[in-house]
Amino acid sequence: MLEIKNLAVSHKKKIAIKKLNFQVNDGEIIGFIGADGAGKSSALNAIAGVIKFDGEIIYNDFSYKSPKEAEKVKHDIGYMPQGIGLVLYDTLTIKEHINFFVDIRDIKINKEFLEYKEHLLIMAGLENFLDRRAGDLSGGMMQKLSLVCTMLHRPKLLILDEPTTGVDPLSRIELWEILKQNAKEFNTISIISTAYMGEASKMDNILLFDEGEIIAKGTSSQLIEDIKPFVYENTETDKKHISISDTTYCLENLEIKHQKPTLESLFFVNALKKDKLLPKLQIAISKENMGENIVVMKASKVTKKFGDFYANKDVDCKLKSGEILGLLGANGAGKTTFIKMLLGLLPLDGGELKLFDKKIKNSEDRNELKSQIGYVSQHFALYDDMTVRENMMFFASIHKIDTKKTKQLINSYSKELGFEQYLDEMPKSLPLGINQRFSLAVSILHEPKVLFLDEPTSGVDAIARAQFWELLKELKNKRGISILITTHYMSEAEFCDRVVLLKDGQKIADDRVDNFYKKFPDAKSFEEIFLEYYR
Amino acid sequence: MRLRVIKAYFLKEMIELIRTKMITMPYLMPLLIVILFGYGIKMQVTGVRTLILDNDNSQISRKLILKFEHSKYFTTMVKNISEKDGLREIKKANIDALIIIPSSFEKNSLKGIKTEIGVFTDASFPSRATTISNYIQGVILDLANDFNIDDSGVININTRNLFNQALRDEEMIVPGLLGMVLLISPAILTALIIAKEKEMGTIFNFYSSSVSKGEFLVAKLSSIFFLVSINIFIVFLVASYLFDLPFRGSFFLFWLASEFYVFVALGFGLLVSIIASSQIVAIIVTLMLTIIPAFMYSGMIMPISSMSGEAFITAHIYPVMYYNHIIYDTFLIGQGFSSSTNILYLLLLFTYGVILFILGLLFLKKEIK
Repeated sequence: MLEIKNLAVSHKKKIAIKKLNFQVNDGEIIGFIGADGAGKSSALNAIAGVIKFDGEIIYNDFSYKSPKEAEKVKHDIGYMPQGIGLVLYDTLTIKEHINFFVDIRDIKINKEFLEYKEHLLIMAGLENFLDRRAGDLSGGMMQKLSLVCTMLHRPKLLILDEPTTGVDPLSRIELWEILKQNAKEFNTISIISTAYMGEASKMDNILLFDEGEIIAKGTSSQLIEDIKPFVYENTETDKKHISISDTTYCLENLEIKHQKPTLESLFFVNALKKDKLLPKLQIAISKENMGENIVVMKASKVTKKFGDFYANKDVDCKLKSGEILGLLGANGAGKTTFIKMLLGLLPLDGGELKLFDKKIKNSEDRNELKSQIGYVSQHFALYDDMTVRENMMFFASIHKIDTKKTKQLINSYSKELGFEQYLDEMPKSLPLGINQRFSLAVSILHEPKVLFLDEPTSGVDAIARAQFWELLKELKNKRGISILITTHYMSEAEFCDRVVLLKDGQKIADDRVDNFYKKFPDAKSFEEIFLEYYR
Repeated sequence: MRLRVIKAYFLKEMIELIRTKMITMPYLMPLLIVILFGYGIKMQVTGVRTLILDNDNSQISRKLILKFEHSKYFTTMVKNISEKDGLREIKKANIDALIIIPSSFEKNSLKGIKTEIGVFTDASFPSRATTISNYIQGVILDLANDFNIDDSGVININTRNLFNQALRDEEMIVPGLLGMVLLISPAILTALIIAKEKEMGTIFNFYSSSVSKGEFLVAKLSSIFFLVSINIFIVFLVASYLFDLPFRGSFFLFWLASEFYVFVALGFGLLVSIIASSQIVAIIVTLMLTIIPAFMYSGMIMPISSMSGEAFITAHIYPVMYYNHIIYDTFLIGQGFSSSTNILYLLLLFTYGVILFILGLLFLKKEIK
């Protein structure tokens, strides 16, 4: 049994976890859910004994209050930190990894262990790749190998920090199977954090994190049941509420039909309870509109090779004006490579790319189209030591927008996109969601006709994500901007008009969103639909 | 201390170093430095501590002394001691040059009779010694000009270089370079292989397992120690054969001192890696911490004995000086274990290494900073 008493963690003077209390029984899988920076990783680090903390952790009658005291339980702990293949050594093969971990964990090699090891490798589907180096594995395989390495010494306390983030849906299911089986068979305590709400239902108990606190506890159905009264169909009301896409959240009783809540709804209800209302985000209509059904971007048989490895292979796709095209796929599926080729940052190894009827081969081609393209990179290319306002001024001057107009633009966008009060702060000190919106504002300063967004929603909390998608819709509807967006959240497909699904550099699905549902009428979510393609 | 854990890390480190081709670094980098610097360094001289023995005490001789006193290149002293005592001053490294003006120098030179000025320089630093004697010659010729003395052989300058008679730059620079490269490359490698784990996140394998701090450090350091130990022989061969250096002392002393010195270097790298969280920071900090002092305070450019104040203290704080002393001894002098200074310095190096290692052990934390 694991008992957490008054756990508090501060990291670099920032409070990451305020006061955490909970218990986990043997054989239980407990899930940590919450946005980036909500304190999940800090809590996991503390339990794994790799970060200083206050409070007490009691594991099977052994109490520890610092990483030093935790040393004694570490042979029982299996910890897998956040990040794909983080604990793996790129140049070592799978077999060498196994040997390394067997040795540092001082595992007795006997018949029983060899059988267990075999069992793990087969379960993870790695038994045929023993001589492959970790650097050459796909994201899913890396995570499975990390898990195998973490489980080799049969930990009684398994702590996994977002083991599935960025991993393809099929590998995710396989990972969960290993975890479930392990919990049942060895009575292991598993503490697992995840960014995918869909995975929450697989857990015995969920802890919902927000700003370093647990805001809700229970099974996924319990939690959803609890917020049912606050979730309505989208409506206008004077009472305090949050409306996002087809749903309105309100703590007071409204005389309209209830909407079926999801786990994401928890965050909105929590925001309401904390009296954090969302600013209404609206974008002013611009005069120019391109008109419908013009092909903005066309890729035919686009191929990119890195050595022997195909990052993109024969990818065909089209982006039409006034359309949101979602480029979906796990980490390493080739999404970023594709965008980089579109921007002329990477030369093509085959095929053809056309943007506004112009062939894109190198960055010079792109330069000519610069005024029509807006781009937000994966990590928001902002300058950390300049304020939001200064950043915007700088980017405006790159696009040769005069100062007077820039000031106007900053004023209007900061209001429309809801970051007005942060204008004079440094990007680093702001939540990811704000940075994301402000990066978007920077990318549309010069009124581009097409917008490329590379994983803008990664790591951003549910509320900010929903708001961001609302904004994109606004941009599309009011400005007629075409948007190409990449994401590894399969569930975000529903916000797109059209979806292209990539797997290992190849396109495995491409259709309008409504058609997907027509093809798979039984599917409950996009996750399930895309799973079919992965199989 | 479990051998199994150490073996696992050792093997892992070797595989990684070989596959990432980093293994070439401890060999290639020092070779490059030794060859480039060994062939390339020439040095400039100012403030030469010069002792003049004026046996003539005439107008010309006083004029000569004045000339030396007015030159920025010389710091001049005039003493009335015997030639033998003067030479002893050089040996004690109290002065860099000794000029002996013979009696009846004025009389003879004005009459056009051959006369001889004795010039002795400390040749521990050959290029410096050459420069010094050239400067001295220049001053004397200038004097001859002033008094319209025919310079074709009336004043004869008899230059002697003490200590390192053959006067080859290589002989002084190359041993100094050994002290530099055997400090830099192990320090960088150590800093790198620990910082790399931090940067990549694989450090969690250590944080979250029951691997002890001692095991981790011994494993990490031993792999680099092993690689660089081979390097000791390579640089020795380069020095002896490529640069044709004599080897007059004990090879055992050379080897032992080098191993201790490498141990110290590992300690430097270790401490840096504890502060640095990325490889690039590790490299830069290690370079700053090693390359400049190794060069400045090695006694290569400037003898430690001629330093003063802070420079003198800093030179004594860094381990480079002690190692270089032993290296110069084994290559050029050969006193070996019979010299108590050598033994003292050897022990100092060892203690230095042990202290750094213990500091590393204390400061290394199995937790996220």
